[in-house]
Amino acid sequence: MKEVEKYWNPILETLPPEKLKELQLKKFQNMFKWAHEHSKFHHKLYSDAGIEPGDIRTFEDIRKVPKVEKSMMRAIQRKDPYPYGDMLCVPLERVAEYHQTSGTTGQPVYQPDTWQDWEWWAEAWAYLLYAQGYRDYDRVFLPFGYNIFVAFWGAHYGAEKLGCEVIPGGVLNTEARILKMQELRATAMAATPTYVLGMADTARRKLAIDPAKDLTIRKITVAGEAGGSVPATKKRMEEAWGAKVYDHVGATEIGAWSFECRYQSGLHINEALFLVEIEDIDSGEIITEPGRRGKMVITALDRMAQPCIRFDSKDIIQWSPDECECGRTFRLLKGGVIGRADDIIKVKGVLLAPTSIEEVVRSIPELSDEYEVLVTKKGDLDDITLKVEVIPEQPNSNIETIRAKLIDQLRIKTNLGYNLEFHEYGTLPRYDVKAKRFKDLRRKE
Amino acid sequence: MVEGYNLKEMAKKIQAIKEAATELQNISGGIQAVDRNVDRILASVKMLEINISDILVIA
Repeated sequence: MKEVEKYWNPILETLPPEKLKELQLKKFQNMFKWAHEHSKFHHKLYSDAGIEPGDIRTFEDIRKVPKVEKSMMRAIQRKDPYPYGDMLCVPLERVAEYHQTSGTTGQPVYQPDTWQDWEWWAEAWAYLLYAQGYRDYDRVFLPFGYNIFVAFWGAHYGAEKLGCEVIPGGVLNTEARILKMQELRATAMAATPTYVLGMADTARRKLAIDPAKDLTIRKITVAGEAGGSVPATKKRMEEAWGAKVYDHVGATEIGAWSFECRYQSGLHINEALFLVEIEDIDSGEIITEPGRRGKMVITALDRMAQPCIRFDSKDIIQWSPDECECGRTFRLLKGGVIGRADDIIKVKGVLLAPTSIEEVVRSIPELSDEYEVLVTKKGDLDDITLKVEVIPEQPNSNIETIRAKLIDQLRIKTNLGYNLEFHEYGTLPRYDVKAKRFKDLRRKE
Repeated sequence: MVEGYNLKEMAKKIQAIKEAATELQNISGGIQAVDRNVDRILASVKMLEINISDILVIA
């Protein structure tokens, strides 16, 4: 493949790291100045901290800029200019798109975008889809709800930008979507890991369709959940569909900031459009070395209507020690987004990331894709229960053998003992978009 | 990787498109069919600036 055909932008994607940093600093300075001058919220935030645009001269200066948390955005919204409040940097009539966060961690955050911001969303998606091998000959099926959540809207416009043919699978039900994919011979799709697995299950059970053999989907972009970077979940998706599965992580209030490329060696940060810092959760110290987990603080370098400057995303990430064979100089994260700072909880005094349980359950082929974890309190002690389903007619579906495997692997991966419940196949809850498989009931008891 | 691409010439053309689009908007007499389509052109021009012109500050 010619150099120019490997990348959406061969110049930016292969800039030497020191040049990339220089570009990020310039862009950060511009964005800071823009927000300082156009957003009352940012002006006050920075004035209170005693920082003015001219004060940002180095990367160390960037670290003095106060962070913004989601709770701060919630506090100023639903006020004038309605409903966005004082963070809005443009007149209301310039706002062309409304979306909101899903509200899983509280009151949804409103996200206004101008037409330019919306182009920028599509641009970020164009980078990631191109890196994943999408080209103008692809017929991309998008099986999502096309509603107020930003979800895969960016995929739609990004794929269009690449010249792909886009099939909006909006209000169709799962069976109709699968049949339409088959009829039109779609070659790629984008969905949450939960839905990718759920569609394959529905295809097999209700339509007698084996997606790997009977459909032509060969590339899948997953987002919205951690599964794309959980090896056992990714393996299941790839086997079920006979397709390559690529992870992408983005967020409504940030943008489409990361992607796995065709080499699948980790999550690249799109450092042409975003500046990512990793901060030690306890000390706040900036982490630059690989292998040490911390919290992501991120800046969208070109988002104008409602800027995202040093946003405390609560995502737990770590730098990878590796370089990617793709030749991009955009840095890699190892293991994608490992969890969220507010998801990682203490059970029996042990720090637990729910994705570790997912990795164990989905690495056991006799178990179905579904599971549920309940954390409760018995007296003063924490109690944790894992519910799983055994797939019927599996050659090795002896419950006691599976139980032993689960106990062993859960102990290794999570350092915890569990009550294990085996349920009949098809009886645990199924989800269409984002799953809620982890339930901490301790605070309610 | 900057070598092999004529960044300056590309940036010059991008600037020319931006100026032409802005001039068009200035003489539109408020015709919405012109102004709104120019807005869209300028949004695309901004993406060209991000991809090409902005690199000149470090080249």
